Formats: sequence, structure tokens, C-alpha cells
Amino acid sequence: MQWYVIFKKEILENWRNMKWIWVPIVFILFAVMDPITTYYLPKIMDAVGGIPEGAVVDIPMPNANEAILMSFNELGLLGVLITVVIAMGVISGEMKSGVYELILSKPVKYTNYVSAKFMSLALIVFLSIFLAVVAGWYYVSLLFGSIDFTKILTSILFFSLYFALIIGIVIMVNTWVQSPGVVAFLSLIIIIALNVLTSIYGHIFTWSPALIGDYIGEYLHSGVLSTEIWYSALMAVIFTFACIQFAILTLKNRALQ
Amino acid sequence: MALLEASHLTKTYKDISVVNDVSFSLEHGKCVALLGPNGSGKTTTLRMLAGFIKPTDGNISFNEDRLSKDFRNYVGYLPQFPVFHNWMSGKEFLIYAGQLAHLSKTEAIKRADELLDLVNLKEVRKLRISKYSGGMKQRLGIAQALIHAPKLIILDEPASALDPIGRREVLNLMRELKKDATILFSTHILNDAEEVSDEILLLNEGKIIEQGSMHELESVQSTVTIKLSFTDEPKFIEDRLKEIESVFKVTRENNDYFLTVHDLQIARKQLLEVVHRENWQLTRFEVAKTSLEDLFMKAVKK
Repeated sequence: MQWYVIFKKEILENWRNMKWIWVPIVFILFAVMDPITTYYLPKIMDAVGGIPEGAVVDIPMPNANEAILMSFNELGLLGVLITVVIAMGVISGEMKSGVYELILSKPVKYTNYVSAKFMSLALIVFLSIFLAVVAGWYYVSLLFGSIDFTKILTSILFFSLYFALIIGIVIMVNTWVQSPGVVAFLSLIIIIALNVLTSIYGHIFTWSPALIGDYIGEYLHSGVLSTEIWYSALMAVIFTFACIQFAILTLKNRALQ
Repeated sequence: MALLEASHLTKTYKDISVVNDVSFSLEHGKCVALLGPNGSGKTTTLRMLAGFIKPTDGNISFNEDRLSKDFRNYVGYLPQFPVFHNWMSGKEFLIYAGQLAHLSKTEAIKRADELLDLVNLKEVRKLRISKYSGGMKQRLGIAQALIHAPKLIILDEPASALDPIGRREVLNLMRELKKDATILFSTHILNDAEEVSDEILLLNEGKIIEQGSMHELESVQSTVTIKLSFTDEPKFIEDRLKEIESVFKVTRENNDYFLTVHDLQIARKQLLEVVHRENWQLTRFEVAKTSLEDLFMKAVKK
């Protein structure tokens, strides 16, 4: 009941500050940008000119699977950035402004407070990813060739789990410092560290959630879900849960200082 | 039976004790003022009672209900500078606060309407809080503290930041609330404390240095100061004033005279007789320093 009250308030807040509008639009732009520019690149170069006479520019056209993977990659970078930005003040901002004090003077359970915020953010981000990838898929189907939609849906599900982890990390950092800017900075450092460590030790950490994007590429290509993608999805869920728990504990301990 | 008992409350931050061994109890239906200069530990004490921060030592017990350890259920709290979700309207925020305190939606709406009436915000209930004035926010802050009909209302400097009209409104409101709840409020404005409170806790440097009912404190206090001003300086005024038997000290500041007296009733009578007899052009007769202010100054300077 109390959880739902906070959740509803978050949804309403995100509606009034237009997050429900701009986040999906920005995600869609990221997803369709690459396939479209890749397709039209030869024509653009022709029109712009500047290529010496007689030079043969031969850009290999990607196939449909490779094209939609561009959308995923783009979201994996810029989409993550936007996710960090919309989540950076979700708790720290309320602490900084002081409204946290009024809310927590009511018998609010920290578990409800943190998890409702997580779910409301996840809802926006998941919806944005869904719309963005579907839009990307639409253009890819028009320009490069068809892809089975169930493959797209499965990929979106796995991809969303990676984003759940991103939100979890940002929420955890939210409870450490009271400045949204610093929260964004620290969160990005953690996310980058996760990705760098994974790319260095990828052969050991085959279950790393940061590899979900790579595994989606393999899956789109082969059509078979590997064991690794299941493991990394499981790890993403576990890490997300751990981040949320850690955030709750941090807030509780702060209150009990 | 006391509603709340705080025993040996202590709060230290990195070896600096902000609140030091504070014990008191709050009786049902009393309005208690927590007085003290800035930095004396008032806010920290209130925050401990509101359940925000845990005391380093000592404990707080509500005698009302021992079932729930979370005493935020029985406490309504107004912070010194209340901040709201500015994108909500006043009514929306009250309903939200009510639901957070486990009221059902219909209960919360009903209660919000009652309180908007009480704190005189009915006209602006649908306006975004970002458009509210400071006084309106303070009143909305009081309303949200009352939303779940708490047994104890804790107000941190409820009137200090307000203009005289806003202050008057808040004090009247507190007088109204006193009828069916226990109030603990902090202030450094002595007049406010004198006006609405039944009991005083005087805090300095994290310690309680004086506590008791208004009457007790007033009777302990033996002297009153009277301030006099005149249009033009009468001759021999200082000597004449000193001759009055109930006056035992006369001091002059600028053009005002301050008389220290033991008994206000007698002193006033004798003083006005002299003024009348000597035909002094008196423009101002004021009981300048209240006994509380005297007490406060003495206690804090110790």
C-alpha cells in the first residue's frame, strides 16, 4: 500500500517533469540514428562530394542483424548516459532539497522508499528501450531486410536487465552523497570500471552483465541463446538486487547514526 | 502518566557532544517550549524525538503504545525549513503525506480538507506549492505534521522566520492545537514561548539548565524591569525615581530609563503616582524585560 503510494507519486512526478515524453524520444533517436545514417552514407557522400575523381568508395552494407546491433550498441552507450542522468537525483536530490526530511518524518519504510523509486525508473527506461528498439527494428526491416520479431523481443528482455543494473548502481550511489552531479560522476566511474574489467578479463568473467550486449549480438546472429547470456542475466539480477539492498541499508544506518 | 519520557539523551558527533544527558517528560495535553540560544542543541533534540537520528546514548519511550518501535507513527514533525515537492499542489501533498502515514485515500482526502480549512489554505489548495509564500509553506508544514492525528506534535522554530502576521497566525493555530494534542516546539523568541506554552525547557550547550511550568519559573524570578520614556527630560528625574521605595535600581540608556523592581504591582502604583505628582510628560511605560528574558540571559551567561 505505502509502496504503491510512493510509486504512484514517482510516476506522476515523472509525468509532470516530462520524463515520460523526452526519455523515450531520445532513446528512439539513438536507436534509429545509426542504421539510417549507415544506409544513406554512400548517397550522403555522393551529395557532399569531396572525394577525388576515380576513387572507389566501397562501404560494405551490413546485414539486418548487424544493423539492429548498431541500435543496441548506441543505446548501450548513450542510453546508459541518459539513464544515469535521470536517476542521479532520485534520492540525493530529495535529501539535498530537504523534502527527504518531511517524507521520512512519516512512518515510511526505507525498503518501500528505495524500491518504489527503482521500479518507477525501471518502468520509464524499459519502456524507452522497448520503443527505441522497435523503432530501430522498423527502419532496419525497411532498409536492410527482415528480422524475426520474437528475436527482437528476447533481445530487449535481456538488454533491459543490463539497464536494471545501471539503475541499481545509480540508486546505490544516490545514498552515498547528496549532490546529484557527484552521483552521476561516481556512477559512471563504476559503470566504466565494470566494462573495462570485463573487456580485460572477459574470458574469465564470462558471466559479467557488461557482456549482455555482446551476447545479444551472438544471439541475433545464431538465433540460439547461449548459456553465458543466461548466466550474465542472472548476475545482472543479483547485482541489481544487491545494489538496492545496499542502498536501503545505507539509508537505515544513516538514520540510526 | 507522561506521554513521552526522554532519559539521559546524548548525541555526539565526532566527540563533540551536541546534546548532553538531557532528561525530561512530556505530559498529555501540555504545550512545552524548548528554549535556547542558537546552537544549543534544540533541533538535534527534536530530531531524535521525531525518530530521524538515534541518540548516542539514552532512550525515548512513548507510554501510549509499546507495540510499535517506530514512533514516527505517533509524532507529527515540522522541520525548521520545511521543503515540499514543489510540483504538487498543497492538497496533493497533504494527501500524499497522509497516505505515507498509512491513511486510506478517502481518509487522507477528508483529513486534508479539514486541515486546509484549519490552516487557512483552502483558497490556494489547488495551486502548486512553488507559488506559495513563506507563511503559506509554514502553515502547510504544520498541516502535514497533523495529517495522521499524531499524539505528539513537534515543531522546530514554527514562527521564527515569519512576519508579524504570519507569526500571529501560527501562534493562534498552536493555541487551537493545544486543546487535543501535546505540543513540543523550539524557539529562541521568548515572547512566543511565553504566549502559548505551559512549560519551558531551557537548553544551553546541549544541557537542560532550567525546566518547569511558566508559573514556577515566574515565581522563582524575583525582579522585573520597567522601561520609561519622556518627551522632554524632567528635572531631577533620576533622584526622584530612586526615591521610590519599590525601585532598587535605575539605569539610563539613551533617553530611556530602566527601573528594576521587585513587585510590579506596587512599583507601578507608586511610579505612576510620582509621574502624576511631578507632572512628567510620560510617553512610554513598558514592562521591558520579561522575567523569562531575565531568566534566559542569566542562565545562558552562566
